[in-house]
Amino acid sequence: MFAMKHYVAPVSQIPDGQRLITTVNGRSIGIFNVKGKFYALRNVCPHKQAPLCLGSLGGTMVPTDRPGEFEYGLEDRVLRCPWHGWEFDIATGKALFGISDRRVATYPVEIEDDKLYVEMR
Amino acid sequence: MAVAPMTKVIDSDVHPWVNGDIEGLKPYLSSAWQERFEGRLRLPDHPLRPPLAGATSIRHDAKPPSGGAGGSDPHFMREDLLDRYNIEYAILSSIQAGKLATLPNANEATVLARAFNDFFVNEWLTVDSRYKLAMCVAVHDPAEAAKEIRRIGHDKGVVAVFMPLLNILMGNRYYFPIYEAAEELGLPVLIHPTGTEGGFETSVSFAGGVPSTYIERHTIFPEIAIGNVVSMVLEGVFVQFPRLKVVVAEFGYTWVPHFLWRLDQNWRQFRREVPWLQHEPSKYLLEHVRFTTQPEEEAEKPEYLLQILEMMHADRTLIFSTDYPHWDNDVPQNTLRHAPETMRQRIFYENAAELYGLA
Ligand code: FES
Repeated sequence: MFAMKHYVAPVSQIPDGQRLITTVNGRSIGIFNVKGKFYALRNVCPHKQAPLCLGSLGGTMVPTDRPGEFEYGLEDRVLRCPWHGWEFDIATGKALFGISDRRVATYPVEIEDDKLYVEMR
Repeated sequence: MAVAPMTKVIDSDVHPWVNGDIEGLKPYLSSAWQERFEGRLRLPDHPLRPPLAGATSIRHDAKPPSGGAGGSDPHFMREDLLDRYNIEYAILSSIQAGKLATLPNANEATVLARAFNDFFVNEWLTVDSRYKLAMCVAVHDPAEAAKEIRRIGHDKGVVAVFMPLLNILMGNRYYFPIYEAAEELGLPVLIHPTGTEGGFETSVSFAGGVPSTYIERHTIFPEIAIGNVVSMVLEGVFVQFPRLKVVVAEFGYTWVPHFLWRLDQNWRQFRREVPWLQHEPSKYLLEHVRFTTQPEEEAEKPEYLLQILEMMHADRTLIFSTDYPHWDNDVPQNTLRHAPETMRQRIFYENAAELYGLA
């Protein structure tokens, strides 16, 4: 099936730092505005189907070399499921650092004249 | 009963005994220390004794003709265990030295650990080269324990380091000097119930409270191993000491699959708490931790046990042990009889040979 462009909302409806949860083409998705960059993901966690896009967005502890050492990174890249806390890269939908092979679907976002569209198959 | 001939066996849990406790160790103590221990030459027993003849965990029929306690005569043990069951190597660990965990005094524990080691090196390893020693350390003073490992760990009769645990989980960096020395010398560290758990202020506590019978404390031994293995894996001991191996002796093993899965499940959720783990925790466990077979677990149906063996990757993680001369010892011919032959070979010989460098 071809990817189709679906209108979602006026861009101004999702200010910086905000998200919109909505249904497009019969699927619940979340659209995030992270400092002017938009990401769209399926609002279903691949673990146990929690509403993933209601989770917190932030950074995480990136892998370190030594016990007891912490390094916080990937600020604004990590979407954390509200249920069991699995962490996903908001840009790729992949679970982070090998915790799982499962990934959440992501959709390309397009903006035309203050209108926000996502591409879906 | 007809028994299948077994070619090679390594027995990873055998307990020698020093008659008279500290009395028997006197030749290995300085005169000052002999003086210091005068009038209190016995190491304390847990108040909850086994309900067996003599209230001892040592088999009555393992008493050597020479007199003394079962396990105290290396010549008799040679016949009664090594020859009788065709055991190629027996790893000696002193559960009597486990009682060091009752001592609140680090100097005393350190000196006694050294005396135990000198005793077994001199009086056992010289009797038969099939005897190999899990030397003991007093974990009361990890720096001194590390020195002791470096003092005798090079002896080719010494193949492991027995840590009678205090009430500190093994992932705690308190123990790191011991791991560092053990790793340096290529010796696995070994834990075993010390028989002091729940009975003394300094010894390991049981979860939830104090059991009131022997049957109760014996039944719940696994929880000690569970807590310690989980602690080591998550605190990153195997990240810090990538060549370190751990032997978990006589704590059971049918619980292992549950904790492999539970660790990974929790890691997927809470990885950010332990970002030093480079991959799923179960992998560290499978790679670094070995479990002994005795007492063989009596599953409701034999096939259940086989399934568990598969789930815990027993062809890598399980090593045979008798626990001679204790009441509940297993003999090779009657152990894991339903396991496939290739797996039996791994369990009875190869896993331990690789672990202890005896191949
Ligand atoms: S449902 Fe999302 S982490 Fe479990």
